[in-house]
Amino acid sequence: MPSWQEFEPFIVSGLALGGVYALSGVGTVVLYQATGVVYLAFGAVGALGALIAWSLTNAGAPDWLAWLVCVLVSGAVTLAYGMVFGPPLARRDPLVKAVATLGLTLVLFGLMDLLWTTSGGQSRAITLPTDNGGFTVGQLQVTWTQVIGLGAGIAIVVVTTVFLRYTKLGTAMRAMANDREITATLGVPVRRVEAAAWLGCGVIAGVAGLLLADLVALDATTLTFLVISSLAAALIARLRSIVGTFVAAMAIGLIHDLLTPIQSLSSYRDMTPFVLAAVALLVFSRHRVISLSREEA
Amino acid sequence: MLDTASRTAAGGQRSPLRRPGRRTLTQLAVIAGLLLFAFLAIPQLLSLYYIDAMTQVAVYSVVALGLGVLVGRVGLVSLGQVAVLTIGAWVAARLLFATAQPYPLVLLEAGVITMVLGTLIGLPALRLRGLYLALITLMLAGALTVVLTTTNFPNGGHGFLGYNGSTVHIPAIRRPSIAESDPAYYRYAVVVAALMFLLVLVHIRTQPGRAWAAIRQSEPAALAAGINTTLYKLWAFALASFITGVAGGVLAGAVHYLYSITFPTQESITLLAVVLMGGAYSMWGAIVAALLLQFLPALLNNWGVSADWLTILFGIGVLQVLTTAPRGLADQVPKDLARLGRLLRGLRRRPAASGSDPA
Amino acid sequence: MIEVADLTVRFGGVTSLDAMSVTFKAGTCGLIGPNGAGKTTFFNVLSGFVRPAAGTVRAFGEDLLSMVHFRRARWGVRRTFQTEQAIEELSVFDNVAMVHEQARLAGASRRRDVLGAISFVGLGADPSARVVTLAAGERRLLEVARAVVGRPKLVLLDEPAAGLPNEETRHLGEVIRAIPEHTGALAILVDHDMSLVSACCETTAVLDFGKLIASGPTAGVLRDERVIRAYLGTAEVL
Repeated sequence: MPSWQEFEPFIVSGLALGGVYALSGVGTVVLYQATGVVYLAFGAVGALGALIAWSLTNAGAPDWLAWLVCVLVSGAVTLAYGMVFGPPLARRDPLVKAVATLGLTLVLFGLMDLLWTTSGGQSRAITLPTDNGGFTVGQLQVTWTQVIGLGAGIAIVVVTTVFLRYTKLGTAMRAMANDREITATLGVPVRRVEAAAWLGCGVIAGVAGLLLADLVALDATTLTFLVISSLAAALIARLRSIVGTFVAAMAIGLIHDLLTPIQSLSSYRDMTPFVLAAVALLVFSRHRVISLSREEA
Repeated sequence: MLDTASRTAAGGQRSPLRRPGRRTLTQLAVIAGLLLFAFLAIPQLLSLYYIDAMTQVAVYSVVALGLGVLVGRVGLVSLGQVAVLTIGAWVAARLLFATAQPYPLVLLEAGVITMVLGTLIGLPALRLRGLYLALITLMLAGALTVVLTTTNFPNGGHGFLGYNGSTVHIPAIRRPSIAESDPAYYRYAVVVAALMFLLVLVHIRTQPGRAWAAIRQSEPAALAAGINTTLYKLWAFALASFITGVAGGVLAGAVHYLYSITFPTQESITLLAVVLMGGAYSMWGAIVAALLLQFLPALLNNWGVSADWLTILFGIGVLQVLTTAPRGLADQVPKDLARLGRLLRGLRRRPAASGSDPA
Repeated sequence: MIEVADLTVRFGGVTSLDAMSVTFKAGTCGLIGPNGAGKTTFFNVLSGFVRPAAGTVRAFGEDLLSMVHFRRARWGVRRTFQTEQAIEELSVFDNVAMVHEQARLAGASRRRDVLGAISFVGLGADPSARVVTLAAGERRLLEVARAVVGRPKLVLLDEPAAGLPNEETRHLGEVIRAIPEHTGALAILVDHDMSLVSACCETTAVLDFGKLIASGPTAGVLRDERVIRAYLGTAEVL
């Protein structure tokens, strides 16, 4: 069993990773609540943004422009998808809506592999300027990027909670999560609220994509399927609770990284989100009685 | 097509009021003809490169069929079927290295072991609703990906895992003595695939098939009719796992060397996409799906076109099927739309149905 | 005989059934009440889809609630739903035969029982025809056939005539009225069509806001002031 010192750096990285998982997870939950769509293309969209940012930086563009474009592209693609494919599928089962986003995932994935192929063996990386600065806590090195990762996670929880509770748009989203039709009859501009939800989620995906590209790897496949890890956090929170998503995401990030120094388990640590989510889902389903009404999250 | 025939035939057996019509015989003739063509003509017509691709088509048609049963017949979406295929391949490889058993027996064992594992995993998962079931299979597939990349496939070593890390000369997975060459092994694969299709057909035409139709229509109504829905869902899982496990065994012999199938998660998603495009309900759809998945890429590869275009195509295909071609997918007749449809039909007499059927 | 005692069902903050106690003695019994009164919830309890917070149901002397839902059909509970549930891709025959099959009744008598049920309800369609070719009225009859095949003990009919024209409703009423005599089962009919209820049911119970507000011979119940008020609201005429 490794010593405490060997664990320490992984606590930091785990917290940062968990923070970004929380960011992704909360974005997923809010969109699900507002539209009933589990946005499985979240990772792919973020990856697309990150790759575009990389290309821009490579071509000499200033960093801030690259990041801005990244976030805008992710937001735009997500919004476009939501506006085009949201309405025809709006009344369908959440399962159908989720599978549809898999279609988007495939399209993006193929596109990314085509345009940023990895078959030449080249690997890319994104380095944010915050990688270089940092501070030390005792023996630990903490980079600003890691702080941002954790901070982003905390920030999104606070911002969305406040947003949903205290703003008109947020209240409208909560109403729609409850019942779309009734909300529409109340005069709430449902399509505009949905558009806001899609756009917001897309923007979050872009930010998460950038951070994960920095913290983990800039690789289309890795980033696309990393969404499954943040999805795990959202699932553990029953696709409902924002704080729950945060807690679950932190747990996943921490456990994942903390397993690194443990020899016997280290190579299996990527299983963490899956195992946790699977266990959680099974535990929650133990008392199911047949439901005849609409899906609950 | 195939299904209308089987249902008509089923009606013929149950009630003497209807004889098996000309349609059924035509269907059977077409199937027999295609089988003969596949068996005899294709090895003559195609180069080895394409024969290998067609062997993969045979393998994946069975996998697609399993997924089609789950999605099209019962309404369960599994995103882990490629992981199941990998398990089957792993088990078969292990048995082929460790024992001298005849091939058919190994295939059967691979199928059974995979079936047991698939059912064990399915058991708790079946209490979940559609979306969550799909997501949990995604999670389990992801977990399995990690396990596979870590543990490696058997390569003739000893012990449970059968992996010897220091082997320099890795032995090839053997093939049945009657089917050593590639064309011969292709024929072997076609025969096995045909048998799996037959197994599924028998299921669909008898009690489980009817129960599945009831469950897909409405689970409460099925329960009210006395159907033990959990049991039948499990049965569907078991059937799909069994045939996929057998397919895995065939895959092992086809490729000779199993490297970790690198992305079962991604492949499972692509598999779902082609099954939806081919038509989850129809058994022909499984063959279409396999051709999309294994033959087209081989074709494109030969012509120097990137397979990424196919990935994009499949993504578009999924979106198209789900939004505009409702009869392609089983679970996309949601309760409210179905109600609406029946209400509309109730307001005017329906004309006699033509032979049209989903996808 | 079905004895319901203190049946209570809660969904979140809403009490759908509130200490409902009633006895359905025999024959065809009506169950009426305004929308949201809890009639379908009651059926869902009997079917096993909803677990009550309290109360018991004894059917023909047996504790119904302790049976697993899908086993109740085997025991003899049959049900139709407000929305059509006939399985479109199967034939008329197979739809009915499936119920017979799942109730574990003897295979030898299956064809006879199934064809008998089909003719009992007066469904003229070819038994081997696929359901998708049937009209709405024929589908409703098919569902009643599924509900009476074999040896049912309790037949639950939830608005079986919804959307049907008068002539077909009348025919359905005659069929429903004949169910107890033909099968020996007790039938409970939920409907809003009072003429149908009067025509089929000797006795009727009335629910309002989950509470039983009247029960007894149908004619008397339909004239009961409390029942009328429940349907019309609490308009007091001074």
